[in-house]
Amino acid sequence: MTFTPLEAVTLVFVLGCALTAALLRDVLAAIIASAAYSLGIAILWIVLQAPDVALTEAAVGAGVMTLLLLLTIAKTVRPENENEFERPNLRSLVVVVAFAGVLLATVPALPAIGAADSPVAGGEVTQYYLENAYEETEVSNAVTAVLAAYRGFDTLGEAVVVFTAGVAVLLVLRREVFV
Amino acid sequence: MSALTVTSGIVLAAAGGSSGPANLTPFLTDVLLGTAAAFVTLAIVVLYRVIKGPTMQDRVIAVNVIGSNTVVILAFLAAAFGEPGFLDVALVYALLNFLMSIAISKFTVERGGVI
Repeated sequence: MTFTPLEAVTLVFVLGCALTAALLRDVLAAIIASAAYSLGIAILWIVLQAPDVALTEAAVGAGVMTLLLLLTIAKTVRPENENEFERPNLRSLVVVVAFAGVLLATVPALPAIGAADSPVAGGEVTQYYLENAYEETEVSNAVTAVLAAYRGFDTLGEAVVVFTAGVAVLLVLRREVFV
Repeated sequence: MSALTVTSGIVLAAAGGSSGPANLTPFLTDVLLGTAAAFVTLAIVVLYRVIKGPTMQDRVIAVNVIGSNTVVILAFLAAAFGEPGFLDVALVYALLNFLMSIAISKFTVERGGVI
């Protein structure tokens, strides 16, 4: 597996942001670091030619998540006279590293990006989408066509889940509006 | 752009740096991608300021710089891949970057004890 220089430095940047967000003691600083993480991930999505995912990452990862987290910690206070960095618990660290190792061990089983003989690219369903998506939906990006048109009910269900969660939060807090 | 060109775009992107659109020479594409990589390296340097702080204002400004960097990188990538549609992502980030800084700044002022 080889990386282009751009992919390599972007991965280093994303990893650095993630570690910073995890280890910083001040929650506000960690939120800022996670916003930077989202910016790096968007570059990766563009490198992988998925602009719609990058747009979602921009709206949700950098925009909504940052705002939600800021609202969440609005009532908290800043820890005074404490270490700048979290001291990770050794046992949790072992569990997390082992979990990441297990996930990484599955990576070689994936087909290479864009490989013509990968089961997804050669499958009957994929062929149907590639041949008919434009005539049926008039959306030029096949991935967007599948997400927004063919899986419209699925997306509607997700929207219903988010809406229900929002209403439930308002009910629990006994308020009528957010913020 | 048909669905088939989307797939071939993915295949070309996976093949490496010298896979630009027809109207760019492979050299120019490589230069654009290399410049984007250099900008990401600069973002890593700025990340030091996010980690180190020491005040929250340093971090907000640092993330703002990283955001502006990202907009530039996305524009370079849009040019390198010959996909003007990628510029939309850059525009969205340019807007969000501003909003994010405003939101965090407002929050730090309201919470107080930071300045």
